[in-house]
Amino acid sequence: MKRRTFVKNGVMFSSGLLLAGQVRAQDKPGSAAPVIQVKGASPYEITKKAVAEIGGMGKIVSRGDVVMVKPNIGWNRTVEQAACTNPEVLRAVIELVFDAGAKKVVVMDNTCHKAEDCYQRSGIEAMARKLGADVRYSDESRLVVHNFKGEYLSKWPVFRDHLEVDKFINVPILKHHGSSGLTIAMKNLYGILGGNRGKLHRDMGENIAELAAGFRSHLVVVDAYRILLRNGPVGGRLSDVEMRKTVVASTNIMHADVAAAVLFGKDPREVEFLQAAHAKKMGEIDIAKIPVKSLAI
Amino acid sequence: MHAKTSKRLQRLRITSQFFFTWLFFFLLLKSGGGAIESLPQTGFFFYIDPLFLWVNILAGPFLHAFLLALVPLILTLVFGRFFCGWVCPFGALNQFFTWLGNRGKRKKIVVSRPSLRFKYLLLIILLLASLFASQLLGWLDPFALLTRSSSVALVPGANFLVQHALQSGAQNQGWSGKIVKPLYDLSRRFLLTVRQRTFLQASAIGLFFFGLLLLNVYRRRFFCNTLCPLGAVYGFVAKYSLLRLPLNENCRKCGACSNHCTYYGSPFQDYLKSECMLCFNCLNDCPFAAIDVRFQLPRSGKMSALDVGRRRILAAAGCGLAAAALPQIGVNKKAKAHDFIRPPGAVAEKEFLKKCVRCGACLQACPTNAIQPAVFQSGLEGIWTPVLVPVNGYCEYECVRCTRVCPTHALAALTLEEKKQFKIGTAVINRSTCYTYADGYNCAVCEEHCPVPEKAIKFREVEVYNFRGKLKKVKQIYVVPDLCIGCGICENVCPRTDAPAIAVGAEEEQRENSF
Repeated sequence: MKRRTFVKNGVMFSSGLLLAGQVRAQDKPGSAAPVIQVKGASPYEITKKAVAEIGGMGKIVSRGDVVMVKPNIGWNRTVEQAACTNPEVLRAVIELVFDAGAKKVVVMDNTCHKAEDCYQRSGIEAMARKLGADVRYSDESRLVVHNFKGEYLSKWPVFRDHLEVDKFINVPILKHHGSSGLTIAMKNLYGILGGNRGKLHRDMGENIAELAAGFRSHLVVVDAYRILLRNGPVGGRLSDVEMRKTVVASTNIMHADVAAAVLFGKDPREVEFLQAAHAKKMGEIDIAKIPVKSLAI
Repeated sequence: MHAKTSKRLQRLRITSQFFFTWLFFFLLLKSGGGAIESLPQTGFFFYIDPLFLWVNILAGPFLHAFLLALVPLILTLVFGRFFCGWVCPFGALNQFFTWLGNRGKRKKIVVSRPSLRFKYLLLIILLLASLFASQLLGWLDPFALLTRSSSVALVPGANFLVQHALQSGAQNQGWSGKIVKPLYDLSRRFLLTVRQRTFLQASAIGLFFFGLLLLNVYRRRFFCNTLCPLGAVYGFVAKYSLLRLPLNENCRKCGACSNHCTYYGSPFQDYLKSECMLCFNCLNDCPFAAIDVRFQLPRSGKMSALDVGRRRILAAAGCGLAAAALPQIGVNKKAKAHDFIRPPGAVAEKEFLKKCVRCGACLQACPTNAIQPAVFQSGLEGIWTPVLVPVNGYCEYECVRCTRVCPTHALAALTLEEKKQFKIGTAVINRSTCYTYADGYNCAVCEEHCPVPEKAIKFREVEVYNFRGKLKKVKQIYVVPDLCIGCGICENVCPRTDAPAIAVGAEEEQRENSF
């Protein structure tokens, strides 16, 4: 057992050092980045409003940027089944990114079901192509090993497409998730990973938090227009879906997830990956300490 | 016949062959992709096949679409084996390879006379076996063979080659990469599958197929002349057909007519109506326009015919009886348990083996690549019947493609709602390897993916000693058998890399209780 303890301590120590550096690298760690929450009948309009309230897309995207817009397209499900990001929310985001002067918008995900089916059935592929976005399938020949420098998640294969862009906009859907409780923006980052992702379900909370800490989302727009309350993340039954007609936006991924968790009706302090993210000082876990601006249009 | 007309007839024949080959592959490739609601009718080539009509009559219930098979049969009574020469896409491929092998050679490829009768003997064996419930016709039926070989070997093989050629080109840094990259992106969008399709027996089925094509270089249209049971059916009927190629007084017996004849015959020497595929190469090769095309009643005039031989027929009948009995007396016929599952809609095993023509249309149609050609799982006669192999793919919950393309309804045509209820098996957890039991930590990947609305895979939180010997709360997985439909996605996604800790078996499969 001595060797094991030695290795463990070694890993803990060195990754602790790495992590300290990591946290410093994040922009304004722990500072209370605001959350905008907009409710309304049109998913397209509330998204536009939410981004405008953040300060506009121009604050995030610079002229000539190549921007990854990363939705959740994980499942062969329709919009009504609320397993994939609402294409209307995505449409608003992509339009805003183009309007801000982006050179190129890339849309892709590493799906759980067959990729072609998911892209088509979610309605995302057709919509994004119409806007002129570069819709790509995850291509295993483009995997590179990326170091997330975490204690649980360090080196793992990532699709190069996500590392080669200037800005990364995370557009998840808020859903129930069996093992992690919820899937929002931090969990949505599993979609940039390749390899045997199932292995990351052990110590999932820590893995999710370290993934989000080691890979920056410049903007998070959470689709909570329709939310899947039970039998997630794949769902399927319409009676498990509830209309919330809301979009949650923030530049801090943890704050977006905390606000969305509250919207879902869960105490963020009981969600493992939020606990882990809080321990890594990625942001506040107490909703009272986060400036949340709620609007209705 | 006039030289101009001969040339025109030959051109028309080649055009027809191109058209039907294109149609075949067009329909086949269509069945794999696209929305499930807009499936094209892929069964066309199966429904015009008299052998499948025979299978359908034996296995029932009768499907009216198979009445189409009478059309080529009746036309054969008039024209002879036009089907082999003008329509059959596999015939066209064989013709093409024969042509390739013949080009520029002084010593022409031949056909040995005795080999011509082998296909008739083979047909007798297969028909007799099918009468006793050993349905093996699909092994050699040209449409089953071509569909199966294309689904398993030709299409995925081509996909692999294109993918690799373009992929490595696209990664080049220089100007060549700049040219290939857009080509690669386009082909990934429109042509290639995102994930390479993989198959059990891909090499075996592929080698068999390419071997058959290669044999054309040694014997003209080897498969068509020697093995094809469908060709034998048409040959038998063509004996009584009206169209024939008589000689006129211009003939100098030069033998040029046999140069490109599909069976190396010649109208003046040994014109065999049962073997003539109406390719009309002889008309074109004849330097003296000595061959005519005419309709004559079968009995008029002297005709040479292929003598199969009474003793050989008796021997073939004996072989047929053996082929009928032997597969039926293996232990797998009595055993309750079996270690494979069938795609949704599959009828009870005994009936399934009678109905399934091993065509592999379902292999091509399955979007997740879950359906695979069986090896020996269901005995010798079950070779190339479809089984579901979850480690390779899963049964997509929102899909009925395989049940729609099955020509004989061995997979009954299901609506999406019926299919969602159709139980193909039950998932079983192996508690000695599942992380949540064996090691005492959370996993639940299978639970996440379970597609039934009320999940058949659930977990309960219990306190256990984990692999470090610490008391921990763990969400332990369990299966509710009544909710599970056996789609196999749990087995497919289980992260264990030695063997999946959850696997679907045939327990409680619906098809065995449904009659």
